[in-house]
Amino acid sequence: MASELDFSRRGFLTTAMAAGAGLALQSARAETAPAAAPATTPPSNRIRYALIGCGEEGNVLLDALLRIEGIEIVAICDIWKYARDRVQKGLKKNNNIEVNAYEDFEELLAKEKDLQAAIVASPDFWHAPHSNTCLKHGLHVYCEKMMSNTMDGARSMVKAMKETGKLLQIGHQRRSNPRYRFVLNYLLHDLKLFGRLTAANAQWNRAVTPDRGAAKAISMKPDLLAKYGYEDMYKFRNWRWFKKYGGGPLSDLGAHQIDIFNWFFDVMPVSVTASGGVDYYKEHEWFDNAMCIYEYKLTSPDNQPYTARAFYQVQTTTSAGGGYFEYFMGDQGSIKLSENPSITQLFREANAPDWAEFIQKNYVMLKKSPAAAEADVKVDVRESKVLETYALPVTFNKAIHQPHLENFFDAIRGKAKLNCPADEAFRSESVIHKASEAIAARKTLEITPADYEA
Amino acid sequence: MSEQNETAATPKNWDATLAFWLLRGWLGLRAVMTGLEKYAAMGKVMKPWVDPKTGQVDAGGAMVEATQKVYGLGNYAAIPQSMQDKFAAEPLLPAFMLKIFYAVLGPALIILGLMLWLGIGTRVSLFLQGLLYIGLTAGLIMIKADDGVAWLAIHVVLIAYALTLAKYNQFAVLKKW
Repeated sequence: MASELDFSRRGFLTTAMAAGAGLALQSARAETAPAAAPATTPPSNRIRYALIGCGEEGNVLLDALLRIEGIEIVAICDIWKYARDRVQKGLKKNNNIEVNAYEDFEELLAKEKDLQAAIVASPDFWHAPHSNTCLKHGLHVYCEKMMSNTMDGARSMVKAMKETGKLLQIGHQRRSNPRYRFVLNYLLHDLKLFGRLTAANAQWNRAVTPDRGAAKAISMKPDLLAKYGYEDMYKFRNWRWFKKYGGGPLSDLGAHQIDIFNWFFDVMPVSVTASGGVDYYKEHEWFDNAMCIYEYKLTSPDNQPYTARAFYQVQTTTSAGGGYFEYFMGDQGSIKLSENPSITQLFREANAPDWAEFIQKNYVMLKKSPAAAEADVKVDVRESKVLETYALPVTFNKAIHQPHLENFFDAIRGKAKLNCPADEAFRSESVIHKASEAIAARKTLEITPADYEA
Repeated sequence: MSEQNETAATPKNWDATLAFWLLRGWLGLRAVMTGLEKYAAMGKVMKPWVDPKTGQVDAGGAMVEATQKVYGLGNYAAIPQSMQDKFAAEPLLPAFMLKIFYAVLGPALIILGLMLWLGIGTRVSLFLQGLLYIGLTAGLIMIKADDGVAWLAIHVVLIAYALTLAKYNQFAVLKKW
């Protein structure tokens, strides 16, 4: 395995340099390189799982799964032979892992008797059938978000989780990201570093991406596509853009970030105003751009009720605006948080108490003082002062989905509680569906508990 | 004069010997450590974040990047980049000479310092160290780093004094040179 080679090379270099120079030589890279997952857990104690869905997201999850110790992939499933074979052969070639491959997930469940978990990374409209059937077969399930392209589908998943008593973790992976948890638990809850949160802003902007195709030689036959609910190969490859199969960009990209609004504010919004449209990709059903404003009823640090608004936009025609982030703004400071650490920044309001104590305690790192910032560019400081810029000291050296998957497997072992069980995810997903409704209705929609209680 | 003749001609003077050992120790240390530091850099290492309130490691797995001094051949820098830039702007310091000087400086300091400590070619070691410091002094004069010039002058004085006491040296691997 590549990771094993890296591990060996690191050990060799460290030993060789130390021996040669008589010094404790070590490179910074060696310290920060992700650790390989040695297979030290006896086979009898490993959690055996299957991967359902071998597409792009399935491969991303698999990359993280292979780094986790104590679990074992035994079967994969995908209706597309090309994707299925690629994963099966890749596991054999790169990882020396033999897995059984299936086209039909029910056949997989019938034949693989000693599975304990399933990882569902199929298109959204298959999430509920896949997850619910696996749960009813006694498996614990990790299912990618969105839970479903319909509210009924998502609701059925919560019901199946409760009825079977099995675990159903939804792939809002930021909920297990140590950096996000650090910000929530310490900076927002403990320190109330940003004072009263007055607004939030999040976005995910992506450049124009051409539709996916498939060569005729590897395309599926129409009857096979029809068997699994697809009209044709084009819609199979581009399912995210069609309402029968997916939830559109608000669901694909916004789901992660709107979930963060709800998680950090710790309440559900009371209304949503939204606009969007199919303005660029004429052959798609789902809108290619959307802007939404959610209203939240919050309580200030001095226990006063107030309203804060959270704006979200997704653009699939431009990567402008700094990529993807969630920005929480308060009267004492703000944080622009992203899965990408290089985008993450914190700002202290000019009139806020000094953060020197928090630097000293390693909660934040000073990145740029106002003096240095002002030297960079001359602005009209009558409008707003240049703020001190800080960085988040916290990071982690794992694949981006790995902590959330680890939480899932730790929960199976009884060592942790799920960070995003289906009933919790459903609350966020309901208000994302509500934004799509608001776009269609072209008006502000009220959000009530009836909308988000499963 | 042969080694035996020199030893025979130099009367035992333990005061001078002790004085030389002090200089030998200090100048050797100065050279070796200065040379080693040229292979040092501040690298980033990952450590668990510790909650200052509880003193406990964060349960969520938060890690912090801490800067830590690390040594490695790849970190080698003869002198700071800012100083290299100043030297590069000096017309009396040709680029090829600077390149050679930078390549030699670190290893030379370590080797010469070790030679002095072990007593291998003590006089040669001291003299070459003196030449290195003179070379550095020339550059510092040009960029008007007068405090550095004075600082190196002290080193050269110590080396010159050590050379005058070298005949009282004892316990050397190779007394010749």
